[in-house]
Amino acid sequence: MKSLYKIIVLVGLSIMVTSCHDNAKPNYQFFPNMYESVGYETYSESDAFKNGKEGQLVPDGAIKRGFVPYEIPNTPEGYAMSKSMTSPLDSISSNPEKGKELYNIYCAICHGEKGNGKGKLVEREKFLGVPSYKDREVTSGSIFHVVTYGLNSMGSHANQLSQEERWQVADYVLKLRSEL
Amino acid sequence: MSSHYEAPIRRPLVVGNKSYHDVTVDVARPVEGRANKLWWTVFTIALAAFLWGLGCMTYTITTGIGTWGLNKTVGWAWDITNFVWWVGIGHAGTLISAVLLLFRQKWRMAINRSAEAMTIFSVMQAGLFPIIHMGRPWLGYWVLPIPNQFGSLWVNFNSPLLWDVFAISTYLSVSLVFWWTGLLPDFAMIRDRAVTPFTKKIYSIVSFGWSGRAKDWQRFEEVSLVLAGLATPLVLSVHTIVSFDFATSIVPGWHTTILPPYFVAGAIFSGFAMVNTLLIIMRKVSNLEEYITVQHIELMNIVIMITGSIVGTAYITELFIAWYSGVEYEQYAFLNRATGPYWWSYWLMMSCNVFSPQFMWSKKLRTSITFSFIISIVVNIGMWFERFVIIVTSLHRDYLPSSWTMFQPTFVDAGIFIGTIGFFFVLFLLYSRSFPVIAQAEVKTILKTSGDNFKRARAQQDNNSDNH
Repeated sequence: MKSLYKIIVLVGLSIMVTSCHDNAKPNYQFFPNMYESVGYETYSESDAFKNGKEGQLVPDGAIKRGFVPYEIPNTPEGYAMSKSMTSPLDSISSNPEKGKELYNIYCAICHGEKGNGKGKLVEREKFLGVPSYKDREVTSGSIFHVVTYGLNSMGSHANQLSQEERWQVADYVLKLRSEL
Repeated sequence: MSSHYEAPIRRPLVVGNKSYHDVTVDVARPVEGRANKLWWTVFTIALAAFLWGLGCMTYTITTGIGTWGLNKTVGWAWDITNFVWWVGIGHAGTLISAVLLLFRQKWRMAINRSAEAMTIFSVMQAGLFPIIHMGRPWLGYWVLPIPNQFGSLWVNFNSPLLWDVFAISTYLSVSLVFWWTGLLPDFAMIRDRAVTPFTKKIYSIVSFGWSGRAKDWQRFEEVSLVLAGLATPLVLSVHTIVSFDFATSIVPGWHTTILPPYFVAGAIFSGFAMVNTLLIIMRKVSNLEEYITVQHIELMNIVIMITGSIVGTAYITELFIAWYSGVEYEQYAFLNRATGPYWWSYWLMMSCNVFSPQFMWSKKLRTSITFSFIISIVVNIGMWFERFVIIVTSLHRDYLPSSWTMFQPTFVDAGIFIGTIGFFFVLFLLYSRSFPVIAQAEVKTILKTSGDNFKRARAQQDNNSDNH
């Protein structure tokens, strides 16, 4: 009986000691020696920067290695100009499967998996006015242009997709269009 | 008494016409009396040294190992030197209580209690160093193979440093149990003599209700024998494992197969020297000269002489093998010891360890208490330098000349060492005033065979029977 009492006290004590963790706050740490980064981590905040953000803007006009700037401007004239642009993808770098995957991730939510303008958001009437690809005269170049800059209600997707990926998506969009 | 045969050549181990009661009174006197001024003075000095050492340890742990004199080449120096030194000292206690028990050496009985106390206290000092020399001692528990949340990340059982953990912790716990079981009848004696309720209470707790029945004694003897049988391989293996820290490395001067027995011999050597140092003082201040006789000191000196000679043989073997090996790195390691920048420590070690125990061949010198005391201190200085020489001289100059460097201790290195000496004496001084420092129950078993009065009576009787 005496030992049972002791066990209860011990269990109770250990529950008490281990129950101080608050789910709304990070837990207690035991000697956090190399938990916090000494260097600046991506997306971290620091007073060392003017706006407090680690992610600083690249100076205007700088070109990083392996990147070709898109020179056609984001204007109606630019849009017209882009129509004559052709895909730089050759038989090796064209990748219909990848184009499909990227399309289904980034585009199908509005444009629909078939490209008929009946995406999930349109079906649920979150917003309307997404045209079917069949109704518009689009070329591979103009698709690239629109994905890069956005058009009307559509925003730029240059942040999500690299140049090569945008061309792959453009190829897939043309394939969907031909099937409509 | 005539049925008892004992060679008349054996000298008495207990002198002064002692009866059982005299033994009890003499052993209990330091516990029952009050500490004198000298005790308090020494205790204060030891405590101050301990506190200073504690401060140095705190400084090291909070500021970093960089407060020590270590550098990138010499990553082990005073820390491990002191560790091995203290572990070595701790070996004599178990040797006296276990090995001498297996060899039925009656003379161990007057000294085993203090020798075991010395073991426990010095292993505790040794145990400090593996922790405080860690860069992150608060993660020291990672050396234990405990199931955990890192996918049950375990320790690598290939490192002798991990074997050290097991060796030292097992050694300490077995020694502690061995010591304490031996203490039960003696604590019971103090308990039964206690006059104040407080001491009565304390000694009845620590004596575990020992009532000294025949069955208890029978089991007590059996347990002692089993523990002695277990402790003996432990003594040999613990310091062997400590020596593996060096012997399993690839450092020239460390990588030798002779290290395990040579370290054990050195441990017994330095341990017995420390026992001698302590007991020579203790027999005087606690009035135990009739139990810890000159014969005891002489026998310990003989052990020191034998193990000192083994250590000397090991030194010569190492030198021979270095020459015989044809390995230039090893040859240089020994040349560097003898003639390098730490030549003084090598020759200090050589003169303290190889030459000084050889004086014990002279009966006049080994039965001289003053001389024994001096030699016992010299031996421990020598054995400290043995570990220092092995560690530092092998590290500071090895394969790449571009990594050659020197080692210079800082005051923190020294402060921690002084602190452990202080801590040791704090414990030992407290022990000597609260524990029965002689295993009176054991001494009483040899009193009628080895007491001088009983020996005289027997000689008388034998003479009488020869004459009829």
